[in-house]
Amino acid sequence: MTEARAHFDEALGALVVSGIWHADAASALPKLAGKTVRILDGAGVTQLDTNGAWLLLAAARPQAGDPMPELRGFQPQHLAMFKLVAPHSAATAAEPEPRSEGVLEFTGRGSIAAWGHLVGLLDFVGRLSIELLTLMGNPGRWRWREFGAQVGTVFVGAIPIVVGMLFLLGVVFAYLLGDQAQQYGANIFVVDGLLLAILREVSPIIVAVLVAGRTGAAITAQIGTMKVTEEIDAITTLGLSPLAVLVIPRILALLLALPLLVFIGDIAGMAGGMLVTQQQLDISYFMFMDRVADVLDLKTLLVGLGKAPVFAIFIALIACRMGLSVTRDARSVGAHTTSTVVQSLVAIIILNAIFAIMFVKLGI
Amino acid sequence: MTEAVIDVRDLVTTLGGNSIHRDLNLSVARGEVVALIGGSGSGKSVLLREIIGLLKPQAGRIELFGQSVLDSTPEQMNLLRQRFGVLFQDGALFSSMNVEDNVATPLFEHTDLPHATCRRLARLKLALAGLPPDAAKKRPSELSGGMRKRVALARALALDPELLFLDEPTSGLDPTSARAFDALIRLLADSLGLTVFLVTHDLDTLFSIIDRIIVLSDGRVLGSGTVAELKTIDDPWLRDYFAARVSKGEPPHGN
Repeated sequence: MTEARAHFDEALGALVVSGIWHADAASALPKLAGKTVRILDGAGVTQLDTNGAWLLLAAARPQAGDPMPELRGFQPQHLAMFKLVAPHSAATAAEPEPRSEGVLEFTGRGSIAAWGHLVGLLDFVGRLSIELLTLMGNPGRWRWREFGAQVGTVFVGAIPIVVGMLFLLGVVFAYLLGDQAQQYGANIFVVDGLLLAILREVSPIIVAVLVAGRTGAAITAQIGTMKVTEEIDAITTLGLSPLAVLVIPRILALLLALPLLVFIGDIAGMAGGMLVTQQQLDISYFMFMDRVADVLDLKTLLVGLGKAPVFAIFIALIACRMGLSVTRDARSVGAHTTSTVVQSLVAIIILNAIFAIMFVKLGI
Repeated sequence: MTEAVIDVRDLVTTLGGNSIHRDLNLSVARGEVVALIGGSGSGKSVLLREIIGLLKPQAGRIELFGQSVLDSTPEQMNLLRQRFGVLFQDGALFSSMNVEDNVATPLFEHTDLPHATCRRLARLKLALAGLPPDAAKKRPSELSGGMRKRVALARALALDPELLFLDEPTSGLDPTSARAFDALIRLLADSLGLTVFLVTHDLDTLFSIIDRIIVLSDGRVLGSGTVAELKTIDDPWLRDYFAARVSKGEPPHGN
């Protein structure tokens, strides 16, 4: 075993190499800037593979058009390596480093992608509407079993996390509100504030965000993987519509599940608040419920619950569309799943803002 | 040159209560192009995965280049892995990278070469595998099955290994591409002095480029040799296997 060695003989214009020439021998090459290598002397080379042969050739003739050096002293099997490598010097020529993207370019590309998503979503809604119309005429083709299975995972599976999260948020809200209200002796008004915050804003938004992350991502990943494994193509070939089989049951399941989850979230949030007000502000559970009965009007509850189906439709549409637009590779599944969650969150925030302005204008 | 590159002794494998290999012995000498055949479920792929260190057998000894695969530390195994290349059945290309980076990945990881040089070497390997220069910047999903196999072969050859494992190299290819791929493997094996160990179902591969065939049956090596030598073995599965080739050559019935 001998290390790779190389030195340049100025008088002869010869690069003299010896030892084992593999890919990791590159560091043994001397600096040859501007010098012409006329002879490559390999009498001392014990091992040479294609990587080694290519490195030597690339050093001897930096440009693809440079003349081939004379090969001297190499063993026949090493000459064979040069014969394999030499014809490909043009294909392996050095190329400029790829330019990295500027901020402007990045923003532009992102904007075009965002516009594309919007157009794609509209197109998807159109196709889905046609599918729904045909299904209306054929009630026998509704996928009730798939719908049931989806409700199971979307609704029942999400209950623990929704209850846990809203309960803790209720605790935090009541604690912070109570801390302020106590200073003015306005303990009982904590209940009013808590109800308004939880029922109208916190529960619908948090539940929608949870479902977008939990179910939206799952839908995209599942449909996307089915696309990769050609299951979607199989469904189409069997004369079934992927929209009817996969998409509509999921949209309906989310449409049913999200308002129910928001309602469960309302109760959990109030329970959390009740626990804190009793501990911190000496408002008994009975007083809390009594105050709830006094100040809670149906409107507050319905505003919160009413947002849920709208969020649900958007999450489901985005998730299903992104799943169906996956291309056939693993990277695409990841990128589309990420995109689903981002798009859903943006949609939830924008929709919520629209609702807020709308309710004020309508005086609700 | 009779040094054994692959040496498997008394291998016993049981998977999920099923006995896969029972005292299996085989060895492959340097420079040989060897095919492993056997019926479905005869443990060909399991054997391949055990030899390359992805699965552990229950008992036995596996040596590559005289070094035990089963007793190697992870560091020793990684050094050993640089001496062989594997072509997986569907190519197993990284879908998040373009073709050039796929092939350059072993060079990125195992050499000190600058990345630009690694990519140039990757393009050399792609050219040796018979791919056109414009394929280098494409993503694996944009390539046909035959081209993906060639990219995978280029990646397996990136570090100039001495030993190449191929899992069903011609499956999923049309006959023309399959024969061209066979010819490429033989050409590279001869010109680079590779030892090739391949698992295949393709009879045409067996008849055209293979030095020796090893037949797995019932958890053991049933026989080994050229097609002519194997035809003398009296085994129903093997008879049917080679008979399939004969009936394939007959003209189709009808008009």
